[in-house]
Amino acid sequence: MVTKTEENQLNRLESQVDNAGGGAWEYLCLVRKLKLRRSDKVLKHGLSILNNPSKRSALGPEEWTLYEQVAVAAMDCQSLDVAKDCIKVLRKKFPDSKRVGRLEALLLEAKGSWELADKAYSSLLEDNPLDQTIHKRRVAMAKAQGNIPGAIEWLNKYLEIFMADHDAWRELAEIYVSLQMYKQAAFCYEELILSQPTVPLYHLAYADVLYTLGGLENLQTAKKYYTSTIDLTGGKNTRALFGVCLCTSAITQVTKGKSKEEKEGSQVQSLAAKVLEKDYKQRAPDKLPQLTTALKSLTLSS
Amino acid sequence: MGSSSGDLRYELSQNAYIKLVLHSLNHPTSSVNGVLIGRISPSNDAVLIDDAVPLFHSHLGLLPQLEISLMLIEEYFSAKGLNIVGYFHANERSDDYELGGVAKNIGDHICRYFPQAAILLLDNKKLEALKKSKDRSAVTQLYVRDASKNWKLVQSEGNSRFSLREPSANLILLDYISTEKWKGIVDFDDHLDDISKDWLNPGLFN
Repeated sequence: MVTKTEENQLNRLESQVDNAGGGAWEYLCLVRKLKLRRSDKVLKHGLSILNNPSKRSALGPEEWTLYEQVAVAAMDCQSLDVAKDCIKVLRKKFPDSKRVGRLEALLLEAKGSWELADKAYSSLLEDNPLDQTIHKRRVAMAKAQGNIPGAIEWLNKYLEIFMADHDAWRELAEIYVSLQMYKQAAFCYEELILSQPTVPLYHLAYADVLYTLGGLENLQTAKKYYTSTIDLTGGKNTRALFGVCLCTSAITQVTKGKSKEEKEGSQVQSLAAKVLEKDYKQRAPDKLPQLTTALKSLTLSS
Repeated sequence: MGSSSGDLRYELSQNAYIKLVLHSLNHPTSSVNGVLIGRISPSNDAVLIDDAVPLFHSHLGLLPQLEISLMLIEEYFSAKGLNIVGYFHANERSDDYELGGVAKNIGDHICRYFPQAAILLLDNKKLEALKKSKDRSAVTQLYVRDASKNWKLVQSEGNSRFSLREPSANLILLDYISTEKWKGIVDFDDHLDDISKDWLNPGLFN
């Protein structure tokens, strides 16, 4: 996950480099550090450095890191010849390297030679059974071939070993949501909240999944997690504010007339509604009329 | 043909078409979706899709964001005499031509309010081939519900059931693609992350 500051820094650098203002190496390092997928830009700007002998030698030992980065970006952009060339250079420099072996297997993947890639990964895993990247490539290959149940299986196996990999839990949750397997997605978010209880993103996603599942208990829990998201984000998260309104309305529909619940519920809802209206008035005033009507219909039904 | 959508034509305006395709190009590694906005033609024989609103590029299967977006969008367009008349979906993988559960469920939901609603599924291969093929037909597949409320693909060969309103739409689309116009597209996800971003995309075609 990327912070706002990092995002701004990245965008600034990106437009600077795009407009020939220099800073290509800085940009490439930032992309690598933040693990972002900006393959077309990395390919373009990385190649401009690599194809320029003086710029290339100015990098010193980092030259090889750049070859690796450009190789991966090239594969993502289906520029397989470029990737092949980069890997060749790396192979020459590091003849016994497993890291280069990984890139070669990745190239097989990019070509769609699934079986060969799988063989390559299996043999790499024999020597290094705890290589997370290779395990994850198995999941990616399954996904790319449209074998989603296979991807889920591999990902679950991966998480049994590497249960602290938050990105993997998130990926699994997203796959479950895309298949409408909401209970399983909820479980993933529960794991994430347990290990990182102060990350509002997980509270929000969990609430969204629970609301989608429906039923009184889930709606009540969803509301709690929308509220905790509001707490953790200082009341600034639009989705959580909407979520509270949706939940209150849905809960009242389901319970129809349990007065205790209603009184408490409508307080939080009207607070959330007020915050939303104030925010829209300030930042999206032309959308305010629709918001007011929508909120009214949600509060009327509760 | 006994169903209500049995004889209807579907006509897609350039603006709606381009918005939806650009939205998919803006998020090439995820599935995306959107809603189609329009009305029944005065002659009652066609659904005219005048506009589109790109919705999400993540967690398409979750309800809260969908419910909010449909409420706000419906509210905005009904004041102009237009309805939500369909749904657009682009799958995550370029070779995936399946109309998945999420798409069908959302389509069914829209049908409750507009029974003749259609689903458009992005045809990735056709989109990719567009630069060379000079094809004038849309790079989308059309699905409508049959009498048993199952979503069925409307075959495109020689068919007049689905057409682009402006015959040069693909040329304009290619032009927008070459100038990377997809970068400016705002969808509902972007709006919920920052409400100052306008899901109507007012400046897109200037």
